[in-house]
Amino acid sequence: MVIGEAKPVAEILEMIKDFKKVVVAGCKGCVTVCNAGGEKEVAILASELRIARKAAGNDLETLEYTCERQCDPEYIEPLDDLVKDAEAIVSIACSVGPQYCTARYPFVPVFPGLNTMSIGGALEHGVWKEFCQACGSCIIGDFGGLCPITRCAKQLLNGPCGGSSEGLCEVGKGSIPCIWQLIYDRMKNLGQLHKMQEVKLYKNWSTSRDGGLRTTIREELKQ
Amino acid sequence: MSMEVVVFACQQAVPEPDAVKSLWRGGEVRLRVLPEPCSSKMEAFQLLRTLATPVDLVWVIGCEEQLCRYNEGSHRAGGRMAYTKKYLAEIGLEPARVGRSVLTPGDESALAAIIAEISDRVQALGASPLRRAPNTAARRSAK
Ligand code: SF4
Ligand code: SF4
Repeated sequence: MVIGEAKPVAEILEMIKDFKKVVVAGCKGCVTVCNAGGEKEVAILASELRIARKAAGNDLETLEYTCERQCDPEYIEPLDDLVKDAEAIVSIACSVGPQYCTARYPFVPVFPGLNTMSIGGALEHGVWKEFCQACGSCIIGDFGGLCPITRCAKQLLNGPCGGSSEGLCEVGKGSIPCIWQLIYDRMKNLGQLHKMQEVKLYKNWSTSRDGGLRTTIREELKQ
Repeated sequence: MSMEVVVFACQQAVPEPDAVKSLWRGGEVRLRVLPEPCSSKMEAFQLLRTLATPVDLVWVIGCEEQLCRYNEGSHRAGGRMAYTKKYLAEIGLEPARVGRSVLTPGDESALAAIIAEISDRVQALGASPLRRAPNTAARRSAK
């Protein structure tokens, strides 16, 4: 999922300082799962904004709504009724959401209430970690199902480097496992250590951000 | 300036919410006691929403953690209280405007002590800055 993290409230207050009535829009997708932009977080942020503004003698009215998703245009539509009465929108979906709001409401200012951090998953309650950098041509099948692009500080395809020590990466002061140690252990478990001797010559980076803005098309689904 | 306290009380910890009112010595300060099935029913957003209405002090009364009917409930309520205080600190409202107490269900003297603490707290804090702040919109329309 997409991992998001709430922006400092002071930053959001600054963004909306000129407005008296804003929509706070959440998303029931990824950001609900990572407790950053779901229904509860909408209610928390809206209350915080109202409290802060009221204490400053500059009342703010908030309209709360949590979309099914904010990355599909049809799920932005239910905001129409609220947005017509509001001066601005704060979206706490991942940063796709504010951009979909912007597309639907060309004359309404839209602000992000979250920082979009990574594509990842939960390690434990309250801890999320990055697992994929969306390079667009996944190669983890060659590495025991583990991603050296995301999880090796140097993105080595023929690791480990000389900084790997006792299973730990030289980056992170001993807090980050060396992914190449994990790949080695995994390949050993699978009886595929010999595959690690195959030299990987290159990776196709044209599918990553280096190749420019990416669009994914499924012809059979297009109408 | 009139003040108001809202107490969310677990029904096990405080089986008779009216008893809280009879113990109240807060004078002019209005007290509302809302029974809850467990103190863990209270989410951070509900505490914040209540403070935003505005209310001058919000308090949650639950059972001692090891006595919670729902095992983890009272413990969770404690965690939520801690991060509600963090939210308040972030926006510059006194974290002391939310509080939580636990007691053994049926312990009347403990309940009396908690009610006294709530009363002392609201007197010490005074009216919420949300009441004190003049609303610029209201000022404008008054012109
Ligand atoms: S808008 Fe972002 S957070 Fe919400 S479902 Fe889509 S990708 Fe996930
Ligand atoms: S190889 Fe690319 S697509 Fe596969 S997990 Fe790593 S970054 Fe993601």
